[in-house]
Amino acid sequence: MANYSTNQFKNGLKLILDGNPCSIVNNEIVKPGKGQAFNRVKFKDLITGKTLVKTFKSGESLEGADVMELEMQYLYSDGESWHFMDPSSFEQYALDSKAIAEAINYLVEQDNCVVTLWNDNPISVTPANHVTLEVVDTDPGLKGDTAGTGGKPATLNTGVVVQVPLFISIGESIKVDTRTNEYVGRA
Amino acid sequence: MLDKAYLIKRSQLIKRIRNFFDSQGLLEVQTSTLIDNPTTDVYIDSICATVNAEVGPKTIKYLHTSPELEMKKLLSEDCGDIYQICQAFRDNEHGKNNFNEFTMLEYYRVGFEIHDLMDDIANLLNSIGVNIKPEKISYSQAFNDYGDIDILKVDFEQLKNIASGLGLTNDFLFIEDLQMLLFTHLIEPKLKHIPVCFIYDYPKSQSALAKTNGDIALRFELYLNGIEIANGYDELQDPETYRQRFIKENNKRKLMDKKICSIDYDFLSKIQNIIPQCSGVAIGIDRLLSQIK
Repeated sequence: MANYSTNQFKNGLKLILDGNPCSIVNNEIVKPGKGQAFNRVKFKDLITGKTLVKTFKSGESLEGADVMELEMQYLYSDGESWHFMDPSSFEQYALDSKAIAEAINYLVEQDNCVVTLWNDNPISVTPANHVTLEVVDTDPGLKGDTAGTGGKPATLNTGVVVQVPLFISIGESIKVDTRTNEYVGRA
Repeated sequence: MLDKAYLIKRSQLIKRIRNFFDSQGLLEVQTSTLIDNPTTDVYIDSICATVNAEVGPKTIKYLHTSPELEMKKLLSEDCGDIYQICQAFRDNEHGKNNFNEFTMLEYYRVGFEIHDLMDDIANLLNSIGVNIKPEKISYSQAFNDYGDIDILKVDFEQLKNIASGLGLTNDFLFIEDLQMLLFTHLIEPKLKHIPVCFIYDYPKSQSALAKTNGDIALRFELYLNGIEIANGYDELQDPETYRQRFIKENNKRKLMDKKICSIDYDFLSKIQNIIPQCSGVAIGIDRLLSQIK
């Protein structure tokens, strides 16, 4: 991959930092009145999901990361790996639990997700912002019991627990925001 | 699109600044913008202008990067306290807070030391509606508090190890540049949480045109919400010290393969009378405006 100098830095640029692929979240030029210019850059590590801040001398360069984001369909899990398919090439990719991470809470077979590839290897998956899941367990919403407290916990078919309104019962399908793990509405 | 509210806010700020200085008896001055010598400051690039090409002799001039030296000529002739609000020009500056042209307030108070001047700036800020009491932190205290580094004691090699330990580059020729990288990385983000803050007593290696005392430079900077707004010195007084500082800057330029700048001998000869003991500061008006309500 090509190298990128600080003057080519922009939000979303993918670079290798300490061996990991990272994406630039924010790039700030700081020029002390009596000193040389620096770039204070906020990165997101695409493998760990953590953000970090580094300061560079202007003119320093970093190696670009060969990162691609592809829309894929989630097929199935065999317990060890989670299998996805690129619908344009029909090529299949297997992700391990580390790459699946939190997305495991929202994976439904046949749903479309965005899979991030680094050097053609899948490193993470992002589910759609809203997914439809089924309530498999929740307390019956008793009248006058917890009214006004904002709801009750419900376990969904992926195993994730979400706060839902009292009127939701077992067997219903609901829409969940995968970024906040919040109930959006009945599906 | 015309932002009239901004124009009004800007106009009011400048009026209030003038009122503050006029009420204290400072004289407003205007010095030349088009000058004969570029600044020797290693990290400030002058913009050059070619004049009289048609009538001859064709001459290279420079837009001033600050009115500092021109104002010091006046100080050496006993003009007393002076201020100037003018445009300043710097090449190779771009970014959210850096522009090729910006408005600078530069002022000098005769007989003041840096702590007197910081108090005076606090009064100035007060007069423009910034009523928060400034915090004052010395450069070494800031490094001690926010980086656990004894910045005045560590040598270049130790500081390089600290930088690489933080995953930062340590590819620098001069310790002051590495100090500035670490200040930008470790200290400035913390200053974002302090509305008004003076950092003072810089390491001697960053003295620029400030007097030194032992291993420190009598220099300060003002930060509003972590943004550098002003830079002030207890000013050097005699031409020989100025000459040595200019040469030092040029030597640094040489080692960094930067253009060597002609030394302003006109300035050195004009200040033969010696500049009176004074402190002076440059304040970025555009940045100040961006940080006040």
